[in-house]
Amino acid sequence: MRRMNGRQKTALLFGAAVIFLVLVTIAGQVLSEAAMATDFSRKDRPPCPEYLFGTDWMGRDMFVRTLTGLSMSIRIGLLAAGVSSLLALFLGIVSATMGRAVDSLVTWVIDLVMGIPHILLLILISYACGKGFKGVVIGVSLTHWTSLARLIRGEVLQLKEASYIKAAGKLGLSPWQIAWKHMVPHLFPQFLVGLILLFPHAILHEASITFLGFGLSPEQPAVGVILSESMQYLAMGKWWLALFPGLLLVLTVALFDVAGESLRKLLDPGSAHV
Amino acid sequence: MKRRKISFIIAVILGMNLFSGCGPNYESSAGEAPRQEEQKETGTGLSENGAGDSVIVAMGPNSEPEAGFDPAYGWGAGEHVHEPLIQSTLTVTNPDLSIGYDLAVDMQVSEDGMTWTVTIRDDVKFTDGEPLTASDVAFTYNTVKDTSSVNDFTMLKEATAVNDTTVEFHMSQAYSIWPYTMAIVGIVPEHAYGPDYGEHPIGSGRYLMKQWDKGQQIIFEANPDYYGEEIKMKRVTVVFMEEDAAFAAAKAGQVDLAYTAAAYSDQSIDGYELLSFETVDNRGFNLPAVPVGTDAQGNVIGNDFTSDLQVRRAINIGLDRQEMLENVVNGYGTPAYSVCDKMPWYNSAAEVEYDQEEAKTILEEAGWKEGSGGIREKNGVRAAFNLLYPASDSLRQALAADTQNQLKELGIEVTIEGVGWDTAYDRAQAEPLMWGWGAHSPMELYNIYHTLENGLAGFSPYANETVDQYMDEALAASDLDTSYELWQKAQWDGTTGITQEGDIPWIWLVNIDHLYWSRENLKVAEQKLHPHGHGWSIVNNVDQWIWQ
Repeated sequence: MRRMNGRQKTALLFGAAVIFLVLVTIAGQVLSEAAMATDFSRKDRPPCPEYLFGTDWMGRDMFVRTLTGLSMSIRIGLLAAGVSSLLALFLGIVSATMGRAVDSLVTWVIDLVMGIPHILLLILISYACGKGFKGVVIGVSLTHWTSLARLIRGEVLQLKEASYIKAAGKLGLSPWQIAWKHMVPHLFPQFLVGLILLFPHAILHEASITFLGFGLSPEQPAVGVILSESMQYLAMGKWWLALFPGLLLVLTVALFDVAGESLRKLLDPGSAHV
Repeated sequence: MKRRKISFIIAVILGMNLFSGCGPNYESSAGEAPRQEEQKETGTGLSENGAGDSVIVAMGPNSEPEAGFDPAYGWGAGEHVHEPLIQSTLTVTNPDLSIGYDLAVDMQVSEDGMTWTVTIRDDVKFTDGEPLTASDVAFTYNTVKDTSSVNDFTMLKEATAVNDTTVEFHMSQAYSIWPYTMAIVGIVPEHAYGPDYGEHPIGSGRYLMKQWDKGQQIIFEANPDYYGEEIKMKRVTVVFMEEDAAFAAAKAGQVDLAYTAAAYSDQSIDGYELLSFETVDNRGFNLPAVPVGTDAQGNVIGNDFTSDLQVRRAINIGLDRQEMLENVVNGYGTPAYSVCDKMPWYNSAAEVEYDQEEAKTILEEAGWKEGSGGIREKNGVRAAFNLLYPASDSLRQALAADTQNQLKELGIEVTIEGVGWDTAYDRAQAEPLMWGWGAHSPMELYNIYHTLENGLAGFSPYANETVDQYMDEALAASDLDTSYELWQKAQWDGTTGITQEGDIPWIWLVNIDHLYWSRENLKVAEQKLHPHGHGWSIVNNVDQWIWQ
């Protein structure tokens, strides 16, 4: 077999990670009904070929439950990352192009949000929004945009001094036209990579907040709920309830990182050797 | 770009910290540390070989009395009733839940039920040496009436001391079951009662509170001047820990008796046996018995599906309680048919046979025909409801899930949802909620089934004039035996009531056995049926426990 070059390998890695994540998301969606099903005739089974991750004290299939939980995490992550990155893009550009007053306002908001411990802010927002699914989604979405906004603001500040931007200005384009036509294309790779790298944060925070009990009610299959339930059963020797869901969560988060990193290398080859 | 990588790693680590950070909390602070202190202090580690006259009992963290040992703030006479140990009570409940005497030697009630006269012993001293007189009793009751935040004393108008040994209770309404209230109110000393009484209690009961390390343990020592039977267990230490920590503590031999849950019942610990005590600690759900509407505040009340009497009857006999017991508590429990199974005021007419076919027939005849997806329908109403359960309670979650599975076989679609207590009470007005009840007093029947001013019962909308009337009569009865009969009639009088043949506004599922890991050579004295609350009831008679 022909040896692949680095770029092809990276592309393959990216493809594999994305395919896996998409599969988990779809499988979880398809199996969401089965994840809620309880069957007391099969409770407390250790892992076996039929139930790969075992079953819990109500006879729920932990494999299905974990997949559904991760699927929900990924979907919440998708929404949160989407909202956060758009917010970051908008605020970053506005901050860098609309003058000093707007800039200091935006940086002040960024500092404010970053100044509050993240998990605390998450809990506050999701509590204020009535907990539950809605609360988690809003909380996670509204707290992840700051660092990306800062990054984009920096990039835009730098771009503003570039001669082609200045030329465009002299040619009579409005700031918005410049931002849209000349800056956004330049920022796009940064933006895309930033978006993907927001996922792991969002997913871990979703898991944390549901673990702490501020999110979903316990019959819902969410990774945090699964892990916090499993704590009660560790003392009884039911290790499988915590181990496999935990591992799969770590794997998912790691794969998002792999996907983000390989995408960065593909879009920005110059940085591959940094 | 390296920075991004690093920040990601930091985020992961922080995330992990968050998870592991919950570990210590979860295990509860009452794990190892206090035990070591305890060992040091007793010096001998008596419990290590399980002998002598001291015992260490592990209870759940919620059992620790937040406001201390003041009956006005719920000690003994709170949401979960038990004997107050430190204080004496006028009466006690016997193992069969009839009434016996502690301080009292005689009690009389006037013909109209409005005056109770209780004569008390004259040889009782508080542990500070002062004698206990009728004026202490009157003071106690007037205090709890004014300040109790956790129990209802509105039926009492005033307590007065007639002389040193006689106290009179003047009632604001006839209350025949007053002796059951007298069994849980610990008598406090008038001369030594103040805002800090809860932390420095003085009583005349079997034990003195020796030491209280908040969040960890409470140490009791036998009252040397106790007037009653000899106290065999001289020193009782109660430690507070979560279920898994209590299990670990028993495994490590650090406690002599540890509360546990049915989920642990398939485990075993060397040198320990699993004790199981029957209870009236029941679980069941309400079925709102009126159609959907709104109350004066605009809250939703009632449920179009469960307001159909035939539906409630079908659900009651369509649930296999025995199977539920096996599934949810590994068989450690008994089927429940009422809120007060086996109590003297229980009417056994509440018992029903499980009959799935009959349940289906009832639904068919009531017009609930099978529709799409096997779920029944009638006039466009789907045979479906949302069953709520307290989100923190995995046992009730399992009961809700099993109910869901069993009712599906009848063609009823149930969804389950965990809720917090902040919203549960309001939502239960329109949706069934998995409750836990069970008290050593018939008043619970009244609280659940009797109507309030708005014409409906408080916890779940329901009204039946006849049932109300029997309960009113029961409270007005002049002696307990008559009142028992009336309480029973309130449940079923031959034509109407709250049982299967009656209105069946609540479905009772199971009474949960209270389970404990106990050292094999510890002899725990006979227990009366435990009420709701897996806490202090076990030590009601700790003075009579012995090591063998």
